Amino acid sequence: MGSAVLDRYVGVWFLTPALVLLLFILVGPFAFMVWTGFTDLSFALPNRDGNFVGFDNFRRLMRDPLFWDSFLLTVRFMVVAVAIELVLGFAIALLLFHQLERRRLVLTLLMVPMMLAPVAIGLIWKLLLQGDFGMMTYYLRKVGLLGDQQVLLSNPDLVMPAIVAIDVWQWTPFVVLVMLAGLMSLPREPFEAAVMDGARPAQILRDVTLPLLRPIIALVVLLRGIDAFKEFDKVFILTGGGPGTATELLSIYTYRMNFKDWDLGYGAACAFMVYFVVLILCAIFYKAVFWQEGRSRAKGRAGA
Amino acid sequence: MKEGWRIAAFAVVIAVLVMALAPYIWIVLTSFKTRLDALADTPVWLFTPTLDHYPEVFIGKGYLPLVWNSAIVAVSTTLLSLAVGAPAAYVFARHRFAGQEDLFFFFLTTRMAPPIAIVVPMFLLFTEIGITDHLIAVIIAHTSFTLSLVVWMMRGFFADIPREVDEAAQMDGLSRAGTFLRVLVPMAAPGLAASAILCFILSWNEFLYAFILVAFEGRTLTVGIPGLITPHGTLWGQVAAVAVVATLPIIAFTVLVQRHLVRGLTFGAVKG
Amino acid sequence: MTVEFKDIRKAFADGTIALDRFNLAFDEGEFIVLLGPSGSGKTTACRILAGLEEPSGGSVWVGGRDITNLPPRHRRMSMVFQNYALYGHRSVYDNIAYPLKVRGAERSQIDGRVRETAAMLDISALLDKRPRQLSGGEAQRVAVARALVWQPEICLMDEPLSNLDALLRLQTRTELKRLHFELGTTFVFVTHDQEEAMTLGTRIAVLREGRLVQFDTPREIYRKPATRFVAEFIGRPAMNTIDGVIRDGQFRAGPLSVPAAGRPEGPVVMGARPEELAIADAQGPGAGLFTVDVVEQVEPDTLIFLKNGDTEIVVRALREAEELAPGAQVQVRFPEDGLHFFDPETGERIP
Repeated sequence: MGSAVLDRYVGVWFLTPALVLLLFILVGPFAFMVWTGFTDLSFALPNRDGNFVGFDNFRRLMRDPLFWDSFLLTVRFMVVAVAIELVLGFAIALLLFHQLERRRLVLTLLMVPMMLAPVAIGLIWKLLLQGDFGMMTYYLRKVGLLGDQQVLLSNPDLVMPAIVAIDVWQWTPFVVLVMLAGLMSLPREPFEAAVMDGARPAQILRDVTLPLLRPIIALVVLLRGIDAFKEFDKVFILTGGGPGTATELLSIYTYRMNFKDWDLGYGAACAFMVYFVVLILCAIFYKAVFWQEGRSRAKGRAGA
Repeated sequence: MKEGWRIAAFAVVIAVLVMALAPYIWIVLTSFKTRLDALADTPVWLFTPTLDHYPEVFIGKGYLPLVWNSAIVAVSTTLLSLAVGAPAAYVFARHRFAGQEDLFFFFLTTRMAPPIAIVVPMFLLFTEIGITDHLIAVIIAHTSFTLSLVVWMMRGFFADIPREVDEAAQMDGLSRAGTFLRVLVPMAAPGLAASAILCFILSWNEFLYAFILVAFEGRTLTVGIPGLITPHGTLWGQVAAVAVVATLPIIAFTVLVQRHLVRGLTFGAVKG
Repeated sequence: MTVEFKDIRKAFADGTIALDRFNLAFDEGEFIVLLGPSGSGKTTACRILAGLEEPSGGSVWVGGRDITNLPPRHRRMSMVFQNYALYGHRSVYDNIAYPLKVRGAERSQIDGRVRETAAMLDISALLDKRPRQLSGGEAQRVAVARALVWQPEICLMDEPLSNLDALLRLQTRTELKRLHFELGTTFVFVTHDQEEAMTLGTRIAVLREGRLVQFDTPREIYRKPATRFVAEFIGRPAMNTIDGVIRDGQFRAGPLSVPAAGRPEGPVVMGARPEELAIADAQGPGAGLFTVDVVEQVEPDTLIFLKNGDTEIVVRALREAEELAPGAQVQVRFPEDGLHFFDPETGERIP
C-alpha cells in the first residue's frame, strides 16, 4: 500500500533531487551574488565586511569607463566572431553536404578543435604565436601577413583579431556540424520542387535553403553568442586580458575585480551584468526554439 | 566539368582539415621534441623524437596526481549528473504538469550560466562550509552545468521511446519506478552512454571552477597547465606533454559520441 | 513532339537496380500513366524524365533531342510531388508565382497567369494563405497550379493523389482528367493504384521489376493483358488464374475440364475474369462443380468465392447468387471466348 502511494508520486520523487541540487549549486550562489552586489564586501580593504550599500556598486558600474570598454569589447568580440563562424561554417557545411565521400571521417577530424579543453587551446595557440619560435608566427611572416618584428599576442592592435581568429578556429566546426545536421534533416521535396520550377542553384539557396534553415541559424547564433559572451578560458591563458586592457573581456574584467582587487561587492555587480545579458540571450533562445517546434508541427500537417 | 568541381571541393575540404588539425598536431609533435628543436627559429617538422618530457613532468614535477584528480572529478560529476538527471529527464519526457516548460527552461539557463558569475559566490559559500580545496567542491560545481545537459539530452532519448512501452510494462505488472529502471533505462542505454561521455568531456575540460575552488593537492589537469607557463624559460616540451595527456582521452571519447554530439551540444534542438 | 526512353538503366548507390533496359515512347498531349507495384521503377522513370535522377545508362529523348544531360530547368517540364512540396514560408500566391519568377517573367504577366491558373483550379480565395493553413486537398490544388502556371510542355505527377482521403481522391481524379482535356498538356502520372490508372490514362505503361511489361490503352490492357502479372494486377477482384494442362482440346485442372479447342498441348495457366464466369443451372460443356466458400455482397454485385480441391476462384454475379449459402455445390461455367492463357514458365500471354 505504502509503496503504491510512493509510486503514484514518482514524478515528484524523480524531480526533487535535481531541483534540490540546482537550488544548492545555482540558485543559492546566484542569490548570494545578487546580495553581495548590494554590499561593500572586500577582502583587500579594511572595514568593508559586507555592509549594505544599496545601489552604490551599480551606480559605480554605470560610471566606470573600464567596465563599459570591456562590455563593448565583449559585444564586438561576440558579434564579429559569431558572424565569421556563421558564414564560414555555413559555407563548409554546404560543401560537405554535397561532398559525400568519407564525410563521417572528415566530420570526426573536424570536431577536434571544438572538443579540446579551452585551456589547452589557449596553450596551443600561445605556443604557435610565440614571437621568436612560434610556428604560426613564422608562416604568417613568411607570407607577409605579419611584420618581422610584430608579435600577435603582444601587439594591442592585432591581439583582438588574433583572439577572434582563434575562436573562429575553435568554433567554426561546431557551426559546420549543426548546420550540416540541419541541412540533412531538411525534406528533399522543396529542393526538387524548386529545381522543377526552374530555379538556379543560387536562387535555391536564397529561396529554399536559407528560409528552411532559419530556425537552425537562429539556434547557432544564440548558442554561439551566449558562449562567446562568456568567453574566459582561452583569453585568460593567452593574454590574461593584456596587453594593457586590450583583451579584457567582461569575464576577465569580472575576474580581476574579484580575485585581483578582491573588491567582491563591486565584482558581484559586474558578475550580475554578465548574467543579466546571458539571461536575455537565453530568453531569446527559448523563444526561438519554441518557434521552431511550432513550425515543425505545422510542417507535419501541411507537408510543406 | 563535373569532375573538376569534385576535385576542387575535395581540395577545399582537405585545406579546411589541415587548418583545423595542424595546431593540434603541432602540440603533439612538440611534446616529443628536444628543447632545441622546440625553440628553433624555423619550424621543425621532422626530428628525432624524445620521450623525456612525459616522465619529467608527470613524475619529476608531480603532475601524475593531477590526471587522477581530473579523472575522479569527471567520473564523479558524470555519475552524479546521470543519477540525478536521468529521473528528472524521464519526468519531463512523460509527465505533464503546470509550469513544466518554464521549469524546463530553468534547467536550460543553468547550463548557460556564466561560470565567472557563479564561481565567486560559490567560492564564498564553499569557504563558509569548508569544502574548498576538496574535490567535492569541483564535482558539485561541475554538476551545475552537466546536470542540465543530462536532463536535456535524456528527455529527448526518453521521448523517442514510444509511450506504449511504458504502458505494456505497467500491464505486465511493473510499477512506474520499476518501468523506468528496468525498461526505459536499458532501452535508452545508448543515449545514457552518450550523455555520460559528454558529461565527462565537459567536466574534464572545465577550467574556471576548478581553478578557483581548489588549490594544491586538488588541482585538476587543466588547472595545472597554466602553472607551467612562466614569463621566461617555459619548458614547452613539458607543457605540450601535459596538453597531449589532457586532450587525448577527449579525442578518443569524441570519436565514440560523434553521432550524438550535435544533439548534446544544441540541447536536443537538432538531432545529428 | 515525342518522348522516348531508350534502354534506360538505373542502379542506385546501394546496389538496387530500379530500371533495367527500360524502353518507352509516347506522343504529345497524351495522359500517360506509369503503373506498377512499389519497387517497380515507375517513380524512378518519372524522376529520370524530370532530370532529378541521372540514368546509369541509356538516354532520354524529347522532340528528337537527347536531353539525358540537360538540367531540369531547361526541360520545360513541371512536377507535382506526392506530399505537394509547397514552400512553407511563402504565401499560396508566391508559391504559384515562383516558377514564373525564377524564369524571369514580368510582374504584370506573373500576376495575370497566377490569377488565371488559380481561377482554373478554384483556389482564388486561398491566394493569401500560407501552406500550413491549407487542407490536404487545397494544398494539392496549389501544387497542381504551381506545376501548370508556366504552361510547361509536360507535367509530371508522382503519386499526387495518394495523400488524399478516398472521396477527395475521386474528385481530384475527375478534375485532373478535365484539366488534361482543357489544356492538352502532356501528363505523365505515376501511381500504384490500378483503378486510378484505368480511369486517367489515355495509355498505361505497366512496369514490373524495372522493366516495361505492357504499354497500351486501358481497354486493351484489361482485355488482353500481356502477362499473367498484368492480368492479376489490373482489375478488382483479380483475374482468376488456374494452373493446369491442355490435352485433347480440353483445359484440365483436377476435376475441372473446360473446352479449349485448337490450343497447343502442354502445361498452361488459364485466366478468367470474375465477371466472365457464370453460375450455371445445370452441368454442361465448359462447366465445373465448385463448393461455395464465402459470399460477399458488394452492392450492386455479389462476389462468390468458390473452391474445388486446391483451385480457388471468385465469380462476380449480379443477383442470382443471393440465395447461395456456404457449402452449396454449384456449377460454374467458363465461356470459351472469355478465357486467357499464359505460359506457366514465363508468364507470357499465349495468343
